[in-house]
Amino acid sequence: MKGYCMKPGPFRYIAAQSVEEALDVLASAEEDVAILAGGQSLVSLMNLRLARPDIVLDINRVPGLATVQADDSGARIGALARAAVVERDASVGRYVPALITAIGHIGHPQVRNRTTIGGNVAHADPSSELPGLLACMEGTVTLASASRGAREVGWDEFFISVFTTCKEPDELVTSVNFPMAPGWRYAYDEVATRHGDYPLAGVSMGLRVDGGVVQEARVSVVGVADRPVRLSSVEAAAAGQDASAALARDMAGIARTECPASDDAHVSAEHRRWLAGTLVSRLMASMVDAA
Amino acid sequence: MTGEPDIRITTTVNDVTVEAQVEGRTLLSDFLRHDVGLTGTHVACEHGVCGACTVLVDDQPVRSCLMLAAQVDGCRVDTVESLGTQDDLSPLQSAMWAEHGLQCGFCTPGILMTVEGGRRAGLDVRQVVEDALPGHLCRCTGYQNIRNAIESYFAQGVQA
Amino acid sequence: MRTDTDRPGLVGSSVKRVNDPRLLVGRGRFIDDISMPGMAHATIVRSTIPSGTVTSFDVADCEALLVLGVDEIAAATRPIPCVWIAPGQEQVEVPVASRQVRYVGQPIGIVVAPSRAEAEDAVECLAIDLAAEDGVADSLQALEPGAPLVYPERGSNIGVEFPIGDPSELVEEAMASAAVVVSRRLRIPRIVPSPLETRGVIADWNPGLEQLTVWMSTQTPHHVRDHIAHSLRLRADQVRVVAGDVGGGFGSKEHLYADELLVCLAAMRLGRPVKWIEDRVEHFTATFHGRDAYHDARLAMTEDGTFLAIHTSITGNLGAHFSNVGTGPFRVSAVMLPGPYRLPVAGASIRAVFTNTTPTGAYRGFGMQEAAWVRERLVDEAARELGMSAIELRRKNMYRSDELPLVTPTFQEYDSGDYGRALDLVDARVRAYAPAPPASARIRQGIAVATHVEFTGLGPSKAQDIVGFRLGGYETAVVRMEPDGSVFVSSGVMGMGQGIETTLAQLAADRLGVPLERVRVQLGDTGVAPYSAAGSIASRSMTVGGGAVVRASTALREKILRIAGAKLEVSPSDLELVEGQIHVKGDPRTGTSLEELVTRAWLGLDLPEGESPDLECKYVHEPLNISYPYATHAAAVSVDLDTGQVAVDAYWVAHDSGVVVNPMIVDGQIMGGVAQGLGIALFEKMLYADDGQPLSTTFMDYLIPLSSDVPTMVMDHYETPAPHIPGGMKGVGEGGTIVAPAAIGNAIAAALPEIAEQILETPLSPGRLWTLIHKAGLHDG
Repeated sequence: MKGYCMKPGPFRYIAAQSVEEALDVLASAEEDVAILAGGQSLVSLMNLRLARPDIVLDINRVPGLATVQADDSGARIGALARAAVVERDASVGRYVPALITAIGHIGHPQVRNRTTIGGNVAHADPSSELPGLLACMEGTVTLASASRGAREVGWDEFFISVFTTCKEPDELVTSVNFPMAPGWRYAYDEVATRHGDYPLAGVSMGLRVDGGVVQEARVSVVGVADRPVRLSSVEAAAAGQDASAALARDMAGIARTECPASDDAHVSAEHRRWLAGTLVSRLMASMVDAA
Repeated sequence: MTGEPDIRITTTVNDVTVEAQVEGRTLLSDFLRHDVGLTGTHVACEHGVCGACTVLVDDQPVRSCLMLAAQVDGCRVDTVESLGTQDDLSPLQSAMWAEHGLQCGFCTPGILMTVEGGRRAGLDVRQVVEDALPGHLCRCTGYQNIRNAIESYFAQGVQA
Repeated sequence: MRTDTDRPGLVGSSVKRVNDPRLLVGRGRFIDDISMPGMAHATIVRSTIPSGTVTSFDVADCEALLVLGVDEIAAATRPIPCVWIAPGQEQVEVPVASRQVRYVGQPIGIVVAPSRAEAEDAVECLAIDLAAEDGVADSLQALEPGAPLVYPERGSNIGVEFPIGDPSELVEEAMASAAVVVSRRLRIPRIVPSPLETRGVIADWNPGLEQLTVWMSTQTPHHVRDHIAHSLRLRADQVRVVAGDVGGGFGSKEHLYADELLVCLAAMRLGRPVKWIEDRVEHFTATFHGRDAYHDARLAMTEDGTFLAIHTSITGNLGAHFSNVGTGPFRVSAVMLPGPYRLPVAGASIRAVFTNTTPTGAYRGFGMQEAAWVRERLVDEAARELGMSAIELRRKNMYRSDELPLVTPTFQEYDSGDYGRALDLVDARVRAYAPAPPASARIRQGIAVATHVEFTGLGPSKAQDIVGFRLGGYETAVVRMEPDGSVFVSSGVMGMGQGIETTLAQLAADRLGVPLERVRVQLGDTGVAPYSAAGSIASRSMTVGGGAVVRASTALREKILRIAGAKLEVSPSDLELVEGQIHVKGDPRTGTSLEELVTRAWLGLDLPEGESPDLECKYVHEPLNISYPYATHAAAVSVDLDTGQVAVDAYWVAHDSGVVVNPMIVDGQIMGGVAQGLGIALFEKMLYADDGQPLSTTFMDYLIPLSSDVPTMVMDHYETPAPHIPGGMKGVGEGGTIVAPAAIGNAIAAALPEIAEQILETPLSPGRLWTLIHKAGLHDG
């Protein structure tokens, strides 16, 4: 009988003291292991017993995973870096300001004090902001395992479906990488019922503009499908066009056709598609103004 | 292994060292309330939304229902009981009293700890009211008097 | 002598609340803060299907201190009585447990273990088979041919049907004669009360004394005690209910649920204290919901906008069984439908429908929020159709103060006030408002008002009986001056955050000439408090309970003055009681100290002939009438045409709730009430799948307003004392919630005249509003 639950089921708690120890636990465990980073989704799911792990592997004491580095090649965020720390990081603010914007939409400050960038991305919530930005920036996730060492996978390979990634059970996310190339700028915006809620739709946009002409564009949407989606037709339509209000309108229109979406109890598919278009148009306006 | 209080922790709660044996699954909120006996920290949703259970861990406001007690080994935890006493309310508590910033009082301890965390972090009143206060649910007050209380408290010249 | 409506010093003063320091330092005493030696913890086993049968309940693999299943519970308990019975209502009691399950969340067992976590572990090991049948959640769908039947033996899902107010022939005649009839189907969805503290209980059976002590988060300790005793076949004196601090109620804690009874039963079986704290997910399905009604409503008027008639056909969703109050909310919607308007003809028909959902019961506003939504939306739609100002249309049709008192066609005896003045005050505020220009051309702004009259303070007991409400409408106060001159006040009403401990103390302190800190108000313990049939519901704590405290305090004051008069050899009427001294009026040098007089009185000394030594007065206040406060609210909103998001930019309230005992507390009640109304207007709806599976089960999918959603409100007060209430107070607990959704809905309609006629249902969430905007072609691109 699945009852009404607000206390986690029993589990074995292991606080790893190093990456190696954590990887050893993951490699040797025959039971279901949940990796505890910020815990803002995991503990909630455990309280409801929607997650019922046999082992909780706490990586919060693992040194070296909370690094935050940003420069003109992008931001490399250690898996344990807290959202609140990244949000206040001056170099991230300078080089990847879209990451700060996106983080600002995650819950509330009390949650962001614990939320980790690695945990947020590894949870793969289809409405979550950071996976969308990662998709837009052609970002990568670094995974480590005891037997196979480290590997870096692109967002497209990493995100498979709702709460599902390509991370193998013996792997640990060690960093999340938001690369920047010369000439690119990125921005994020979303519509949520209340600030801090999961977005009804959230759009990330990257532009490379030269001489008033969009050379390349990247657009991703979250909250509309089982993982972040890139709107390739919108991107293609923007390439080579004048960065104008007319282009913004065209891109919005294409977004409304191309963006997948389905109905749920709160919002229709059509509404989500239109919101994606509206956000594309708003982001274009703000990015072109800012240029 | 499971279901047994087999984890030894040492933590500082409101400046007092607490040593305890806890189960892995014991939530920080339950540890504070039922093991340490500090029932001022309230639990109203246990899924991290309402903010009633907010305490400071190493000066940072966090949801204590979303942390395990085992995770605060070696940490400093501050709860509402650290702020003031009935006969000697803290300036923030006095402001909440004067401005009628509470009705049933169930959400109040969490809000007080968020504001206290904001003070320690050197946030300004706008950051506390506009960014941090929306991390709490209050069903009684409509928030207006809570905002007034926080503003009145900061107007007295808050020191980080 | 001071009359009941005199305004002594403390009354009318915004004194700080007496309980706050305790709550502010974390020393509240809510249920889960109480721990007892040997205490075990319970979790309730509930149906996970909307409709079906419990075919087996196997506890073999379950490690627990105690498990009780449906059959055992049913055998050990008597059904819980319903208290508000509609004409023709056959179901007048509800079994505590049954093999037949009719909603997700229905209790079917209880498991007790040394800790809550272990109790939840034990439930995982229970083998329960549920044979599922088809269910239905929506009341209109439940009426369609072939719909699943909640009670197949009844042959239909209609629980009861009855009319209220003017007969239908009169209504139809008025409608037919009208130049304009505005007709709409409006809907008020289900609301989850959501106090921050969920329900909770600790029960402890003393086998030697054969006494059950029950600590409970409740608004109605005596009522709950009566039903526990009834259901467990105990004498009333064997059950003591103690309510400590209550972390909000809003109607959801105003009766005995089966859950609390199961905990009592478990404690009796185990012989040790048992605690149960409702978890938040449970609250969404196990605590009674509010609202859930369709209204097919009509407002008729002449060409110049003179109202002729109003009528609504209510299809109300009862849920899986009649709640304690059953059709009560639908009935109150009907009787309060006319509001402050001169409506020569008014009536309603009520059709209450069973569905496979959690039963609907009391929630702040109790039927009146629905009535306000229906009426005030119709009035604004009428103004639009007539091309009149909505404020002028209201002013034209409102009762003037010289027309009061009067009896409405729905049998409400409106007592006093000046309805137009609230409208004028708000109108002036709105006119002075200069909104910041919208951030973009895609933002629309709108301002509108809504107004209402409210039914507060149940009520003369005989009137309750006439409408089938089996709860006495009186309240009793005991006021005692102790030998040290301090004052003890006890009442059967209950504090749940509304500050009643403070305001009752203000009433007593003023009349007894003692400082506020010398008064202690004791509530919530049936072992101490005088009997209260109805407790703190219906905005009655201050009007009915406060009226009793006024009268008991006045009687005690008179007794003290009689004793002093005998001692000083002056007529009591020449004496006054000020700051602990009794002296001849205007001559502070004469007289005696209150404390000395009191000390000697309790020694049985210095008493005039026939006067007893106890300085304790009890007064049973049976109100002569309901009191009818009223208000006008206005909201200014911005609507984003591209996203459907609404921001409430400004909000105004003008109200008359009679004599205001503590303005700060009254403001707080209104602000909090408006915030709940804003939640109804914009966010809140309990969602079910068509078959009755609940879809809103956490605060992630049922959204209540945050600070960033609720604007700073501007309030205007004025006072028309309630003529029937000692002290002149009218209730103020619910008004904010009642009318706010209509004010906000009207403002949204004003911002979007193209779709105003379709603003009929809350919440006006981005999803709902955008769809209307989009269909009307107001979209971008």
